[in-house]
Amino acid sequence: MENSNTEDGPNASSAGTAMAKEESLILMKNIWKTYQMGVEELHALRDVSFQVEKGDYLAIIGPSGSGKSTLMNLIGCLDSPSKGTYLINGHLVSEMTDDELARIRNKEIGFVFQTFNLLARATALHNVELPLIYAGVRASERHDRATAALESVELGDRTLHRPNELSGGQRQRVAIARALINNPSILLADEPTGALDSKTSVEIMALFEKLHAAGNTIIVVTHEHEVAERAHRVITIRDGQIEKDERIK
Amino acid sequence: MRLVTSRFLENLKMAFDTLRGNKLRAFLTIIGVVVGVITVMLISSIISGIQLAVEDQIKSFGTRSIFVYKMDIGIRFDRPSREERMRPDLTLEDALALRELSEVETAVPFLNASSGWWGNATIISANGKQTSNINLTGTLPEISVAGTEVVLEGRWFTQAEVDFKKDVCLIGETVKETFYPNESAVGKTLEINGREFRIIGHLEKKAQLLGDQDESNTIYVPFGSALRIKPNADDVFIMAVANEGRIAQAQDQIEDLLRTRRKVAFGRPNNFSTATADSIIDQFNSITAGVAIAMVVISSIGLLIGGIGVMNIMLVSVTERTREIGIRKAIGAKQSDILIQFLIEAGTLTGFGGLIGLAIGWGLSLIIALFFPSYVPYWAPPLGFFASVGIGIVFGLFPAWKAARLDPIESLRYE
Ligand SMILES: Nc1ncnc2c1ncn2[C@@H]1O[C@H](COP(=O)(O)OP(=O)(O)OP(=O)(O)O)[C@@H](O)[C@H]1O
Ligand SMILES: [Mg+2]
Repeated sequence: MENSNTEDGPNASSAGTAMAKEESLILMKNIWKTYQMGVEELHALRDVSFQVEKGDYLAIIGPSGSGKSTLMNLIGCLDSPSKGTYLINGHLVSEMTDDELARIRNKEIGFVFQTFNLLARATALHNVELPLIYAGVRASERHDRATAALESVELGDRTLHRPNELSGGQRQRVAIARALINNPSILLADEPTGALDSKTSVEIMALFEKLHAAGNTIIVVTHEHEVAERAHRVITIRDGQIEKDERIK
Repeated sequence: MRLVTSRFLENLKMAFDTLRGNKLRAFLTIIGVVVGVITVMLISSIISGIQLAVEDQIKSFGTRSIFVYKMDIGIRFDRPSREERMRPDLTLEDALALRELSEVETAVPFLNASSGWWGNATIISANGKQTSNINLTGTLPEISVAGTEVVLEGRWFTQAEVDFKKDVCLIGETVKETFYPNESAVGKTLEINGREFRIIGHLEKKAQLLGDQDESNTIYVPFGSALRIKPNADDVFIMAVANEGRIAQAQDQIEDLLRTRRKVAFGRPNNFSTATADSIIDQFNSITAGVAIAMVVISSIGLLIGGIGVMNIMLVSVTERTREIGIRKAIGAKQSDILIQFLIEAGTLTGFGGLIGLAIGWGLSLIIALFFPSYVPYWAPPLGFFASVGIGIVFGLFPAWKAARLDPIESLRYE
């Protein structure tokens, strides 16, 4: 049943040693996320446990409203669980100070949001530069790196456009360039191809594969099978619970 | 350190971007600050101007001078009381008696022989022109020691000319301009009530205060000659010159002597007054200090209102930019980054308002300076600017703190 499924995945990937568990990049144990809606409690996540090793390429699929974005926000240290423990690189996230969390969001995690989340008033270049500003990188280096990042997503000729002067796919690529600018060890992408045509989707997926090959850990939420098939491992979520966790490569 | 400044510049740039994006709001926010700073600039420049002019004029009477008069001397806003007007006049003999004091170098009487409000006018004519509107003062040659008047051309009268009531006079700059504008007046004559007086000297123009009477519109004649022109003249003002560095002692001696001469009973207040340049300047400074405090209060209220406006606008801005704050936090902004960003934004906003206020205030005070002695004191612009920036930072603190404390995920969800 569900139970055996949840246990199959992690047990299989951690191959038995306690050491491996310690060194998991992401380790979630009995995570609950509950929203209080008046008198009713809404469990967006119920007792979710899983772990992700460094260098893995994971896809999370599931119907709309099943809790995928909620889970991603927890992984990305943007939100905190109602119950359960979350360790990133062996460190307990619930015990981190605000500054430590900010540092992790800045340096360790690149987040591509379902809704892009670009600064509306800032140019593409400035949007991509922003994580570098908070990382304390000098202006000239920042400019060079952000320009290069935009070129790598083929937006070299759109650096001074504002988000509302870009197409949906172009905005998504700006968001990806921003997520990658600080060379994060984990790339979290929530529906990164949702707004893209199939050709651009393929290009983005190729980019992800390249990053994975370079040793980055990638977690992508999607409901497109072509996207999920590129991953090495697929977790299926339904009603806030892990329904299936299978390694496909 | 380098990182800190580069961060600061980055925040400043972001602040400017934001302000440029919200021009109208930014403008409305800073009006209070602009007005506050203009107030500071204008009032401080006017006060400084008056202060400088008053000090100049009073100092021109000399730092060793002690003024003695039957009524109270100094800056006053009330009219002399009946008691003051009824006091006995000072006399030539009083002045001569003061000269005998050990700490007094000399004392000079000034007899006012000008036209009165009623009674016979003193008509002065020369070179085909005629007027009664000139101050006529009888005095003694020792006026040259007092140094309150500078002879540009010619000389003061001698003791012999005083003793023999010679018809000689010295004229102020304004008098010269009236009768002999384009030529030397020395050696010429003028008629006072029909008597011919020889002009033996021409005096330098005196420092002028707006609205004050023209000190250069004066004719000095020997004391006795003045009495002959206006036999009932009795309004005597005495200026004593103290020995160097002994002004306080001289003032005491003068008061003691005059109390005796004027028979003031023990324990009764003086029925005359004495003043020095310093005492008048002190008196004036205490008045301007009051005005300055009023200025600080008024402009503080202006700046305070501006500050509350800033807080209001910043709170609105924080709410409106909740999503932006969420995005910034999601990509690694620390609480302190957000706090500093909003503080710099508020400080930039009001600092900018301060600069506008400084520019307008400076312009206005330049215009005022055309009509009125005024200048912007060196401390006013920095005070105005830093007060503006400070207002922004102080009143931006609460909104910035609110922004910094926002939860990243809730901010991202904010519509
Ligand atoms: N802030 C919130 N308050 C209350 N309920 C919430 C909140 N955020 C999410 N939920 C609920 O939690 C559930 C999971 O939401 P989530 O956004 O994670 O879904 P999802 O799997 O990402 O869906 P989609 O594929 O449509 O993006 C939903 O039922 C949603 O209504
Ligand atoms: Mg979602």
